[in-house]
Amino acid sequence: MSDEIAISVQGLTKDFRVGLVGHKLRAVDNLSLEIPRGQVYGLLGPNGCGKSTTLKIILGLVPATAGKVSILGFGSATSEARRRAGFLPEAPYFHKFLTGRELVSYYARLSGVAEVDLKSAVEVALDATAMTEAGNRTIGTYSKGMLQRIGLAQAIVHQPELVILDEPTAGVDPVGAAAIGKMILAMRAQGKTVVLCSHLLGQVEQVCDRVAIMDKGRLVLEGRVDDILARRDRQVITASDLTDKAWAAAEAALLAHGAKDVSLTHPRRSLEELFRELVKGSRDA
Amino acid sequence: MLNLMKQSLRRTTWIARITFLEAIRQRFFAFLILLSAALVVSSVSFRFLDFGHGELKFVADFGFGGIFFFGSILTLAMTAQLFFAEIENRTAMTLLAKPVSRWEFLVGKFIGVWAVLGIFIFTLTLILGLIMWGRHQELVALAEAAGRVPPDLSVSGVAAYALLQWLRLGVIAAMVLAVSSVARSFLFAIVVGAMAVLAGQLQWIAEEALLKEKQITTVYQSFLWLITRIVPNLQQFNIGDALALDVASVSNGAVWAASLSGCIYIIVLLILAGLGFRRREI
Ligand SMILES: Nc1ncnc2c1ncn2[C@@H]1O[C@H](COP(=O)(O)OP(=O)(O)O)[C@@H](O)[C@H]1O
Ligand SMILES: [Mg+2]
Repeated sequence: MSDEIAISVQGLTKDFRVGLVGHKLRAVDNLSLEIPRGQVYGLLGPNGCGKSTTLKIILGLVPATAGKVSILGFGSATSEARRRAGFLPEAPYFHKFLTGRELVSYYARLSGVAEVDLKSAVEVALDATAMTEAGNRTIGTYSKGMLQRIGLAQAIVHQPELVILDEPTAGVDPVGAAAIGKMILAMRAQGKTVVLCSHLLGQVEQVCDRVAIMDKGRLVLEGRVDDILARRDRQVITASDLTDKAWAAAEAALLAHGAKDVSLTHPRRSLEELFRELVKGSRDA
Repeated sequence: MLNLMKQSLRRTTWIARITFLEAIRQRFFAFLILLSAALVVSSVSFRFLDFGHGELKFVADFGFGGIFFFGSILTLAMTAQLFFAEIENRTAMTLLAKPVSRWEFLVGKFIGVWAVLGIFIFTLTLILGLIMWGRHQELVALAEAAGRVPPDLSVSGVAAYALLQWLRLGVIAAMVLAVSSVARSFLFAIVVGAMAVLAGQLQWIAEEALLKEKQITTVYQSFLWLITRIVPNLQQFNIGDALALDVASVSNGAVWAASLSGCIYIIVLLILAGLGFRRREI
């Protein structure tokens, strides 16, 4: 197995038994993936398509029905693998009576951070997730965005090589989601591998290098985001102060040189971009 | 190797610490503890009823009984609740995604719960012991004035009782963990756990039958034998009044045997819990 691969999944299948009679529900169906190191990898797909289940199998929280998983060269259930990985579960919930700082310290200890390095490790993690100030409040008082960020802090407190995030922006407003997106890019800049899963395609597009799209437990498309999204058979020309006369001349020139389907439209920004421009920073973003 | 064990111990103690904190911050458990304390204290009122010579025995039975009863309920509810809170709130997911083994998780939970139970038992026994000791002083004075034989009270016997009760609650907590490790729901764990406690309290009946009855069939005999092997004998820990009031009637050996078997039950039950929990989907 290559050093360039952070996670390799081969022929992974998971059946859940549901109901009294134990009907089989196939949540993941013969999934094979190779997630390269040092990139942000998005696992996308509608609700219930098996994203979370795949992540849980990778981390050894749920046993697979069939197939093989290796993470950083280890089997999924080994604690050695988990020492090098950080995980933020879907809709995270933490002990309400602890403060954010206590919680991150607790998880740092469980991750094997030595007592002498503990304080600085916790502060670095809180700083990276913009939770330094809120760190002294109890978790019961946190907003949804803060919960995700403290969850992110506990996932990275032991400086893992691999960070696995399950719907890190679910329920967070676009400004907060953009902040989390920035944190993810900062992790990649440090050389970490980030795997995230989401059903919010717009946000993922901006941070992921590579994506896999799942549907009903199966892989339907995998590749670099640029390759998947670019339409290589079309180009866009943009301009401002364009007069009717100038456009007519340009159109004629394009047609004269054999271009087809020439049209004039306004480029659109996404609603998300617009929202983020208008609402520059809500209070606890 | 030593370092690995140290690391494992550190993780386990931290899980225990957080479990302990969580337990003592829950109002329901605080309420239960206060209620049992109130019950034990209320045994003071017996002095106003005229029980004569048997009074200390009555106070002891009442107090020990209250600790036994509320202790059992507290252990059942608290162990199952703290276990299922981690599963249902999905905090177990974050925890077990860390380099924490499932054994460390279970043992950490157990130690956290057992520490709370230790506080419960030792506080209540201390209160009960003080009440009995105070009344004993008065009764001795009265008996001497009347020229009667004063009643007995053994302080070390009361302490031994506390230790045995703590072990008994530890066995129950380990039983509930073993059930919870495979149970799908909190309610199921509570109900089956309660039945297991009841079976444990009645186990001695099977043991006695096995010893006494001579003319039983082999099938029935093996059935009884199986029961006595599988079900822990919880009744052997309930020798509080004998230890306190008639310490000569209890041999040291009986106390040691009960302590030893308590420790063995706890270890075996925790191993069963670990085996059940090993492949559980989190
Ligand atoms: N513990 C479970 N028991 C039974 N079915 C489950 C369990 N966990 C997930 N599922 C089912 O498996 C499918 C995939 O779920 P999940 O991986 O959570 O999807 P996603 O994260 O993509 O939304 C869903 O149909 C879900 O209902
Ligand atoms: Mg999911």
